[in-house]
Amino acid sequence: MIDLLGQFENIRFYLVGPYPNGAIGGLSLNILLTVLAISFSFVFGALLGYSRLSCRLYIKLPCMAYIEIVRATPLIMIIFWMYFFLPYLVGGHATIFSSAVVSLSIYAAAYQAEIVRAGIIAVPRGQLEAALSTGMSRYGAMQHIILPQAFRIMIPSFVSFFVSLFKDTATVFIIGVIELTQAGIIISQRDPDKMYAAYLSMAIGFWCVCFTMSHLARRLEKKVGVFDLESIRPDACRDEFMLLPKQKKTGEGIEQSVVCAPDK
Amino acid sequence: MIKFIAANKWFKDRHVLKNINLEISKGEVIVICGPSGAGKSTLLRTINKLEPIDDGEIIVDGMYISDPRTDLTALRAEIGMVFQHFNLYPHKTAIKNITLAPRKVRGLSKKRAEERALKLLEKVGLDHRRDAFPVQLSGGEQQRVAIARSLAMEPKIMLFDEPTSALDPELINEVLEVMTSLAKEGMTMVVVTHEIGFAQKVADRVVFMNDGEIMEIGSPPDIFVNPHHERTKEFMSSVFHIPIFSESQEEE
Ligand SMILES: Nc1ncnc2c1ncn2[C@@H]1O[C@H](COP(=O)(O)OP(=O)(O)OP(=O)(O)O)[C@@H](O)[C@H]1O
Ligand SMILES: [Mg+2]
Repeated sequence: MIDLLGQFENIRFYLVGPYPNGAIGGLSLNILLTVLAISFSFVFGALLGYSRLSCRLYIKLPCMAYIEIVRATPLIMIIFWMYFFLPYLVGGHATIFSSAVVSLSIYAAAYQAEIVRAGIIAVPRGQLEAALSTGMSRYGAMQHIILPQAFRIMIPSFVSFFVSLFKDTATVFIIGVIELTQAGIIISQRDPDKMYAAYLSMAIGFWCVCFTMSHLARRLEKKVGVFDLESIRPDACRDEFMLLPKQKKTGEGIEQSVVCAPDK
Repeated sequence: MIKFIAANKWFKDRHVLKNINLEISKGEVIVICGPSGAGKSTLLRTINKLEPIDDGEIIVDGMYISDPRTDLTALRAEIGMVFQHFNLYPHKTAIKNITLAPRKVRGLSKKRAEERALKLLEKVGLDHRRDAFPVQLSGGEQQRVAIARSLAMEPKIMLFDEPTSALDPELINEVLEVMTSLAKEGMTMVVVTHEIGFAQKVADRVVFMNDGEIMEIGSPPDIFVNPHHERTKEFMSSVFHIPIFSESQEEE
């Protein structure tokens, strides 16, 4: 019989890598990379997306160029580029860890820019006009009216992007960063008996974090998404859209799509 | 109070306001009507410079709107505007919609602003809905909150751009009533509307616009019952759905 516990005896390695005897790794490193990439790229990405809205070509074109180029490049290419060029640029001080962070940030900025841009233009034009017509400055209108609404619109896109960025951190295994994927590979190579456990552990690790992120996001959406009653219940089922024969007990019409009032 | 002097506006090469001359005095209620695309909304929006004019001048309460030295926020604070689609802030409750501008622009304290907002909500008959979000209000209620929001800045002029045309028929009256009482209090109002009953009861003068031009100005009976221009006649009959027996049967 397979020694079940023995299969997973490396759990610590999956979670934190060689730490404390070496640098931190494993699943924690995936999380750390995600957090760092998001923090470094957030402001830059938001500025890019905001500036892209400008009608002035000298502002808009550089932003568009960045966004379009990065989005048309596979992440793995950006990682290789940074792996080879970053040490050259900063004079040999770059570690594989910093190459990984920089490439993920470059990549994330382009996507966040698009999310921010789409969020801002999704706010109806009349909102700005209403604010301006009461005598508010454009700055005040952006601060109190446009951006708070844009932010709510962006939440779902941000969440799905963060989740996918988290999964994409697995790609940096290619330059030897010992994150969860690399940790699993190391173990399965060292001990081929544990290969299945290794790949299962990777899957479970990624799943747990992604699930937690989505769950937290749903709660956030519930809390702030007041102005759009549908988004209060992002997981509501909508049988009336299903092109299937009616179920008996659902009655007629579309009264099942209960849209509840926000609880203040 | 408001004076248009040879005002012109183009959108690209489309001439949408053609040599507009119009003087509106304090306390007057002006109704603007005319076919779709005539430039009614544009005319209204030039008054608070949501649309700048390209030529001519508009003087609002002594302020020259084309003058770059004119403080736009001060100008707009004196002019309330009510939109066809209400444009309430969906992420704020009714009372927060109303208190925002007085607090940020006039610098009122939260308490003062809320007192004023409550009075206005009472005036439009919605004090019991103060904590409702716009999605929880009916169209008529939303529009009344929107009117209260404009009034909270204590404007000298109120502009209405088809305030009832997005409403179900049974909700129109509650909004018109608020507007009527406002007119009775002596507010200077410019109203784009096709509510003929309201115009006849409340308007001092009616402006008929067509294709960027002011075709006719006159008292409500002048415009609605005895219009001079053929175009005005045609339009009125199409709005009133009264068949007329003229050679030109074309619809706009
Ligand atoms: N932002 C814009 N850019 C270009 N053209 C515009 C713009 N806004 C309005 N127009 C044009 O200007 C003309 C006048 O428009 P306006 O909205 O003032 O008409 P209106 O009389 O209010 O019509 P309606 O009764 O349909 O509201 C129209 O032909 C319209 O197509
Ligand atoms: Mg209009």
